[in-house]
Amino acid sequence: MSAVATNHTRHETARGRMTRIAMDGAAVPIMAAFGLAAFWLFPEDLGLMTRIAATALFVLSLDLVLGFGGIATLGQAAMFGTGAYAAGIAAVHWVSDPIALLAIGGVAGGLIALVTGALILHARGLTLLMLTIAVVQIVQEVVNKARDWTGGSDGLSGIDPAPVLGMFRFDMFGRTSYLFALAVLLVGYMVARRIVKSPFGLACRGVKEDQLRIAALGGSPKRYLVALYAIAGVFAGVAGALTAVTSGIVGLDSVSFSWSAEALVMLVLGGTGRLYGAIIGTVAFMTIHHILAATDPFHWMLFIGLFLMAIVLFAPGGITSAFERLFNRVKGGRA
Amino acid sequence: MTALLQVEGLSKNFGGLQVSSDITLDLKAGDRCALIGPNGAGKTTFVNLVTGVLAPSAGTIRLDGHDVTTLTAEARVRRGLIRSFQVARLFRSMTVREHLELAILERERKTFRIFASVRRMPGLADEIAGVMDTMGLTAVADTQVGMLAYGQQRLLEIALALALKPKVLILDEPAAGVPHSESHRILDALDRLPADLAVLMIEHDMDLVFRFAKRIVVLAQGRLLCSGTAQEIAADPRVRDVYLGSRAHAHH
Repeated sequence: MSAVATNHTRHETARGRMTRIAMDGAAVPIMAAFGLAAFWLFPEDLGLMTRIAATALFVLSLDLVLGFGGIATLGQAAMFGTGAYAAGIAAVHWVSDPIALLAIGGVAGGLIALVTGALILHARGLTLLMLTIAVVQIVQEVVNKARDWTGGSDGLSGIDPAPVLGMFRFDMFGRTSYLFALAVLLVGYMVARRIVKSPFGLACRGVKEDQLRIAALGGSPKRYLVALYAIAGVFAGVAGALTAVTSGIVGLDSVSFSWSAEALVMLVLGGTGRLYGAIIGTVAFMTIHHILAATDPFHWMLFIGLFLMAIVLFAPGGITSAFERLFNRVKGGRA
Repeated sequence: MTALLQVEGLSKNFGGLQVSSDITLDLKAGDRCALIGPNGAGKTTFVNLVTGVLAPSAGTIRLDGHDVTTLTAEARVRRGLIRSFQVARLFRSMTVREHLELAILERERKTFRIFASVRRMPGLADEIAGVMDTMGLTAVADTQVGMLAYGQQRLLEIALALALKPKVLILDEPAAGVPHSESHRILDALDRLPADLAVLMIEHDMDLVFRFAKRIVVLAQGRLLCSGTAQEIAADPRVRDVYLGSRAHAHH
C-alpha cells in the first residue's frame, strides 16, 4: 500500500568510498598548492584566474543546494547577483573594507535566498525549476529598474575597495585580487565541508533521498531545505561580492538566468555532491572556454558544446567521477 | 493507568467511500498488540491516520493524554509516536551508522547544528554501538544500506524506530518480504524492545502475530470486528469468516 521508494542512487564500492574520503581530505592543500603554483606560472592570466576562483565559490554554493539538498535550480544567480550588487552599492556609497563588503554580500545573498526559498521550496521538480527561473528574472528586472542605485543596463562601476586587512592594496596587475579570491575560496570550501559533515548536512542528505522518511524521524523537510537554500545563498552572495570587489564592476548578467545555467553546466561537468567537483568543473570549463575563445573566436561555443557532450556520454558522473574510477582501477591493478 | 495511545471513533471517508469507520483502540505501556485483517480491511489507512499522514474525517487521537489529532506527522514523532514502514524505507546511499546518527540527532533536536561534526557529538557513537549490538547490525555498521540483505534492512527499520526512543511504536508489517524461515530473527529483535513500550503490530504472518501479540485486534471493511487473546481470536468464527470470505472473493 505505501509508496515504494523510487530511488536509484548508484552504489559505490567500499574502495570507491575510501577514494572519495581520501580525495576529500586532500582537497584543501591540493587546491592551495595548485592555486599558488598558478600564481607563479601564469602572471599574465591573473584576471581570468581571479574570476575562476570567485566563480568556483558560486558553483560550490550550487553544489550545496543541488548536490546535498537535491534542489533543482536555475536561479542561483539571483543570490550571486544580489550579493554582488549589495557589495557594489555599499562600496560606492558607504564601505570600502573588502572583507566587510564580502560580509554584506553574504548577508544579502542569504536573505534573498531565505525569503524566496520560504516561498518556493514547497514545490518539487519541474515546478520548482520554473519558480527558481522566475525568481532570478524578477530580481534582474528589479535591478534593471533601480537605475539610480544599480546603474541599470550600464552596470555599476566605481567600486574601489580599501587594502585587504589595511595592508594589501589592490594592485593594477591583479596580484592582490587573485590571492584574496583564492584565500576566500579556500575558506569557503572549508566552511562548506564542515557544513556537509555536520548533523545538518546529514539531515539534508536524508531530505534529498526521501522526504517522507525524514518526517517519520521527526524532521521537517521544508525547514531543512529552506535553511540549506539560505546557507548556500550566503555562499553565492559572498561569491558575487568577491567578483564585485576584485573586478570593480557589476553588470546585469550577474543576475541572469544564463549565468545560473552556466554554473549548473560547470557543476555537472565537475560532478555533483562532492564539493571539489564544483571547483574542478569551474576550472575546467572556464579554462577551456578561455583557450577556445582565444584560438577560434567564431566557433568556440561549438567546441564547448562538443566537449560537454563527450563528458555526458563518456563520464556521466562528471570529471571527478571519471577520475575516481580511473584512480580505483590503477590502485586495484596494483593490489 | 491511562492509555499511552487512545484512538476514539476514528473515521475516514474518501468522497463517498468509507475506508475507516468508528475505530476505537487503546494502547497501554507494555502492550503488545497486533492489528490483523484481510487485504483491504483498512489497516494501512488506520496507520496513516494515527501517524498523521492522513487527516481523519472524524474522531480523536490522544498520545499520552494530549490530543494530537491535528498535529503534523513530524510533531507526533517528536512526541514519541513512531512507526516503521511496510516496505523498508531507508536512505539507500547512507550507511547503517549514518541512519542511526540521523535518528538520534533528530530525537535530540540537534540537526540544525551546522558547524558541529557528527563524528564528534558526545555520547553519539556509544549509543549507536549499543543499538547496533541489540539489533545484530554491528558487522554492517559502515555498509551502505542499498547493499544490505533485505532482512538486515528490516532490522535497521526497527533499530531506527528504537533509536527514536518511542512511547508508542507502530510496526507496519515488520516481516514483510522476509522469508518465513528467517522471520524468527525479526521476532528476536522485537523481543528486545523496551518492556514499557506500547507496540501495535500490523502483520500478515499469523505465526509471528500469535507469538508476539498478547492481544489481537481484527479489522474488517474498515471496522473493528473483535479483539482478544490469541486463543480467543483463533477460535472466533467471525474471524475465520472474514478471512475465508476474502479468499473466496479473490477466487472469483
